[in-house]
Amino acid sequence: MSRAAAGVALLVLASPAAPAQGVTVTVGPQFALASYREVAAGLRYQGTGFGGAVSARYQKLSAEAGVVRVTLDPAIGSAATSGFTATEVNAWVAYDVAPYASVEAGFIRRTTDPEFAAQSVGAVRLGARSFYEIGPGATVLFRANYLAAPKFSGGGRAPFSIDLGLGLDVRLAGRLHGTAAYAFQRINRKTNPGGTGEIDAPIQATAARVGVALAF
Amino acid sequence: MARHRCALALLASLAVPATGGAQAVQSATLRRAQQAYDNLEYRQVVSLAHAALRERLTGPERARAYELLGFTYGALDSILKAVDAFKQVVLIDPERQLDPNRVSPKAYSAFDVALRQVLLVRQLRIDSTSFVGGRGAVPIRFTVTQPARVVTRAIGGAGAGSYVIDSGAWNGQVNLSWPARLANGDPVPAGNYTVVVEARLGQNTFSASQPIRVSHGSVDTLPSLTSLPGYQYLPETEVPPQSWRPLGLAFLYTGGALVGTLGLESSSLGSGSKRELAVVGGAALVTGFVMTLRRPAPRPAAANILYNRLLRDQIARRNQDIAKENMARRQQVQLTLVPLPRPSGAAPR
Repeated sequence: MSRAAAGVALLVLASPAAPAQGVTVTVGPQFALASYREVAAGLRYQGTGFGGAVSARYQKLSAEAGVVRVTLDPAIGSAATSGFTATEVNAWVAYDVAPYASVEAGFIRRTTDPEFAAQSVGAVRLGARSFYEIGPGATVLFRANYLAAPKFSGGGRAPFSIDLGLGLDVRLAGRLHGTAAYAFQRINRKTNPGGTGEIDAPIQATAARVGVALAF
Repeated sequence: MARHRCALALLASLAVPATGGAQAVQSATLRRAQQAYDNLEYRQVVSLAHAALRERLTGPERARAYELLGFTYGALDSILKAVDAFKQVVLIDPERQLDPNRVSPKAYSAFDVALRQVLLVRQLRIDSTSFVGGRGAVPIRFTVTQPARVVTRAIGGAGAGSYVIDSGAWNGQVNLSWPARLANGDPVPAGNYTVVVEARLGQNTFSASQPIRVSHGSVDTLPSLTSLPGYQYLPETEVPPQSWRPLGLAFLYTGGALVGTLGLESSSLGSGSKRELAVVGGAALVTGFVMTLRRPAPRPAAANILYNRLLRDQIARRNQDIAKENMARRQQVQLTLVPLPRPSGAAPR
């Protein structure tokens, strides 16, 4: 987390030089709402947290990264007895193939604390996104990523994993932007505990992040 | 004998009356030489003229002294000495001419031989003239007394430039025509020039010059166009009409996320609360609604941009034509050329 914060700070310091090179950079904090379900309907969590996001664009090339730390507690009616803290890092690089569409690639890494309170996940993102300027300074975004080659702290495999996203960026005043992002994640994890045969251990997570950002 | 002396006296008085009267002679010795010549006392003329030449004389006086010697030696049949004396005369006064009807044939032939033995540029004449640029020329006449490489230049003007009028090998009477134009066809700038004729033969050079004034008539040029009558530039951006498109797009994107979420939810994990989607989707819909109410941002009007480009191209083409027309008008300006009085000073070098 401290390394991520240092990276964001470095970006903020370097961003004043960006416009001269035709690069647009936005950076800002976010508040997060999250839900997490794993294995069975009874194991569900909800929580809130904070994070930050940074994005940059140079002509048709764009990059985006975000980090969020959420404290998840057992939801009402959940069979879970204790909560955990999840830290998720996402990153993408994208290339515009059309005025309203990009192809993108990146990665996701989610770790939990305590380590085995839930599954930690790492995967490669491959997908596309569509974006449209619905008004002056307001852009909506829809993203669909396939999560390839996922790795889990508890082992297992996931033949199908997908991540959907909805994004919104509104210029509020001058350099100040308002941002909102929704992500839905479905991972069809399968495990084979004790070699007795594969069983389903699906993971489903949703997150909403709302924040402000400064554009440079 | 008396008749012979009388005829000689008459001839001598006919030979040199003009120069004697034209300049007031200050030197007493030269006056005595002139008197001796008038009295046909040639020996005395020779000694007195030589004595006068040893004195400090003005240019015309020296020319006069040598001329007396030339005529005297001619009368004494010392042709070579006469030629030498006349060479000094023309070197001092290159424009000096003798009237063959008024001087003795011996003196005239000696003078003519002297002229042919000295490199001179004489009788440089430039007449007043007026013509339209490109349709006329300035006549320049001069005489070169020996075959020589002759370069004729006009020096001066607004930029103090030097324009070569002619360069060639000439001998005798030379007639040149100067169109008074630059290499690009423009007339030479108005101003005062000096036409310099420089003759070179081996180590010998001689130059003559004539100041002239070149003036231009007025030129009516056409102004450049900034617009075409009846055609105006159109705005290159236009504000699209308000529509429900922003809200529709927000619905589309939010609906996509909702459908995807509902479709991909695991049946074994149960349905979630959708509060996260409600927050972000709600924000997107509100933004879409606000953008629907707001005045849309101006966007480039492709047709107007194309029209303006065509209009600009047309104006640029017309201005190019006007520039060509103005250039032709400037080149066809009325040129007036007037010779100016020559400054005093010796030309030979």
